[in-house]
Amino acid sequence: MISREICQRVLQQASSTGADYAELFAENTLNHAVRLVGGKVDSVHDAQIAGAAVRVFLGLRSVMATTVDTTEAGLLRCAQRAAEALAEGKAEVSITLRERLFGDIHPIRIVPSTISNAHKVSIIKEACAAASNENAAVVQTTGSLLDVDHHILIATSEGLWAQDRQIRTRLGVEAIAEINGETQSARFAPGARAGMELFDTVDPKAVGEKVARQAVTMAGAGYCPAGVMPVAIGNGFGGVIFHEACGHSLEASSVAYGNSQFCGKLGQKIANEKVTAIDDGTIPNNWGSINIDDEGAPARRNVLIEKGVLKSYMIDKFNSRRMGMEPTGSARRQSFQFVPTSRMTNTFIAPGNDRDEDIIASIEYGLYAKEMGGGSVNPVTGEFNFAVNEGYLIRGGKICEPVRGASLVGKGSQVIQKIDMVGQELLCGQGMCGSSSGSIPTNVGQPLIRVSSITVGGR
Amino acid sequence: MDFQTFQQAVAAEAASLQVEEYELYYQVEESASASAFRHELTGFSAANEGGVCLRCLVNGKMGYASTQLLTQKSAQALVRRAADNAAVLETAEPEFLVEAGQSYQAANTSHAPLPSAGVLRKTALAGQDALYAQPGVVDGSETEIFAQRVSIAIHNSRGLSLRYENTVSGAVLSAVVSDGQEDGEKTDKYKIRLGDLDKLDLSAAAQEAGDEARAALGAGVAPTGAMPVVFSSYAMALLLEAYAEVFSAENAQKGLSLLKGKEGTAIAAPLVTLVDDPFYEKSAMPMPFDGEGSPTYRKNVIEKGVLNTLLYNLRTAAAAGKETTGNAAKSSYDSKVGIQPFTLCLESGSLTQEQLLEKAQNGVLITSLGGLHAGANTISGDFSLQSAGFLIENGKKAAPVRSFTVAGNFFSLLKNILAIGCDPLPPASPSSTDFVSPSVLVEGLSIAGK
Repeated sequence: MISREICQRVLQQASSTGADYAELFAENTLNHAVRLVGGKVDSVHDAQIAGAAVRVFLGLRSVMATTVDTTEAGLLRCAQRAAEALAEGKAEVSITLRERLFGDIHPIRIVPSTISNAHKVSIIKEACAAASNENAAVVQTTGSLLDVDHHILIATSEGLWAQDRQIRTRLGVEAIAEINGETQSARFAPGARAGMELFDTVDPKAVGEKVARQAVTMAGAGYCPAGVMPVAIGNGFGGVIFHEACGHSLEASSVAYGNSQFCGKLGQKIANEKVTAIDDGTIPNNWGSINIDDEGAPARRNVLIEKGVLKSYMIDKFNSRRMGMEPTGSARRQSFQFVPTSRMTNTFIAPGNDRDEDIIASIEYGLYAKEMGGGSVNPVTGEFNFAVNEGYLIRGGKICEPVRGASLVGKGSQVIQKIDMVGQELLCGQGMCGSSSGSIPTNVGQPLIRVSSITVGGR
Repeated sequence: MDFQTFQQAVAAEAASLQVEEYELYYQVEESASASAFRHELTGFSAANEGGVCLRCLVNGKMGYASTQLLTQKSAQALVRRAADNAAVLETAEPEFLVEAGQSYQAANTSHAPLPSAGVLRKTALAGQDALYAQPGVVDGSETEIFAQRVSIAIHNSRGLSLRYENTVSGAVLSAVVSDGQEDGEKTDKYKIRLGDLDKLDLSAAAQEAGDEARAALGAGVAPTGAMPVVFSSYAMALLLEAYAEVFSAENAQKGLSLLKGKEGTAIAAPLVTLVDDPFYEKSAMPMPFDGEGSPTYRKNVIEKGVLNTLLYNLRTAAAAGKETTGNAAKSSYDSKVGIQPFTLCLESGSLTQEQLLEKAQNGVLITSLGGLHAGANTISGDFSLQSAGFLIENGKKAAPVRSFTVAGNFFSLLKNILAIGCDPLPPASPSSTDFVSPSVLVEGLSIAGK
């Protein structure tokens, strides 16, 4: 993308006022998405993102400058702006870059940009038709096929010159069902850090049928009752509870500034002993996986909580200085336009020993949250929320009628102590996580779990 | 290459591919920001970003492609990509480009250059001083000072040539306060102030953030049940933002909004008037033209409870046999033309917030809402949202409460508005789309707490 020699000159320019670390991040990305509404192709999004960011540190100060002019002159101007904003000193620095190859643990068999629009359309049509045909109550469908080809280059004053090509593919289907004037929608969007071979394992028809069944079930459901009760949360996207309740509060972007309920708690028991939680960017072809992070560090498997004890935070290079701890391969950014910071990759609660049937049977009256929606958290207070997309009441240890419109709220440090049963079958779900460094792909996951008591918002 | 040369390269490629109808949308954003923490500068950024989006009509279909790379090669690829993308579209509605020669209202924009790095740094440190002057403020309280200069140009094959430039600057002050106990409780609030950096009242913003954060300390849990709810102006604006898309004619025509076919009918209580104003007096980004270049104007979306109009762009207006309302919008330079309001504003009523609380007697005052992206369903209107605020007891604001939910339905809520406040509206956000509301008293909502 940009030669080693040019990168060297840019980093030297960036370091010319006394920076103790300089980094160049450049990218060339193709974002492509075909969208259908009512079974017909409604739009094609086709965007090329190309630009670079120069970042320099001096102690606990960080400066970033970005540009879309990736000629040598443009990059040097960008480096000069960063250097001038950082300090007023003068330094002559000689930087020699050596290429480093990290290997590719996420091989791609079919690069999506080599597949025609028409073929992509046929996949989405299959999914949407399956949703429409599943039940006459389905009154509308939307579908999309998104593919991203994200080519990044990272060069640093420590001598690193590395590149990575990150390809992701994702199908999304939404069904809207109407029963007796009540309208409900359901959405499912499986994806992977993979090419079009995603469809070797994802059946578009099954995706369409799944969302149709969920929308119809919810359109015929009554409202979820409100109150504090035990909740069984299903595997897969249910893992969003850990992501929101705990994951964000373990990111250095909160911890380094004292804005987390888990500051200073390393080595302490913060969760129920049933909880072991892991952030793992190395799982081959998983949605949140990386070869290298956006600072050029290799992907890692970080055990965050082991049997209830806090073992690690997720740390990027800049915040590692303030925290006095090593980075953990967790720096991520949506694009060159965002300052990278510590983020999650594939984050999940590890399988436990409880059987699913025992978890349900243990609840006299409560909620089974089979499918979860998105959520959010305020790391300062630890208060989180997330939506239940498909819920059922549990009575006398049995799953009973479906209920809609539920949400779960609570405080992260309290709820992870209340996860007192953990099932055996781990499953992950795909999401886009939004935070200060933009919107990035992350997996959430868990087996079926029980939270002994939590506030259920309903009516 | 510069935009003008790029434009010529696109025109040449379009001519060679016999693409006769097209539009180039060019956006550049120059921005700078400084952040401070513990009385020290921690971050500074200077950005020079933007790109070009081409949309072209091929056999009546509008294909799109965009790039940030202004080269001869990318100009040629852009035309081919957009034409290829048009070829698979199956939309039935005719598409249009805006005709040249229309008149546009003047907008009050700023042509000021970006402030220097020194001014940004000095203001960031002054923001820290203002925050730490507040009782109970602890580390974690951050200040961010920002300035951005946006330039937009739209040129099309029908001779349209529009240009917009505006500079916006401001400050975000986040106060984190503690109850003073070791491992004790912390709360946080942030305030945004827009304007020339040397004229910002940082002390007032810090005090407001500090006061609100301190008032939330020691919050209990709300009771569970149906009760009257007063939404603060901030909370009501968040709800309007979450549900703004139900007023889009595109969503209605696609069966994605329950307001389909409801124009001319009562959808809200008679005291409700909802205005969309591209020239709202406090807007930081007043816009004389919309995302496809049509002139913009102020309109009542809901007038005295009746849905006066949905929001239209050229395509949806033609499909409905109407005129565009000038609400075509691109969420970013590279996105498809959709529909957005400019400043969507609930018109003030006559009661102060205290009078609304008095009218509610016993219930909850909600001052913040969370998780709107997940807990607010825009298709059914159902919502169940994390909330924080205060109990209302005997008509007065009482103890703080948090970690409870408010559940209801947006379309029912519009009908169940009992009174609208006249409290001062908060400052606008630094974008062309904004949401503004006074406090509002609503009945018929469910609260889930203890």
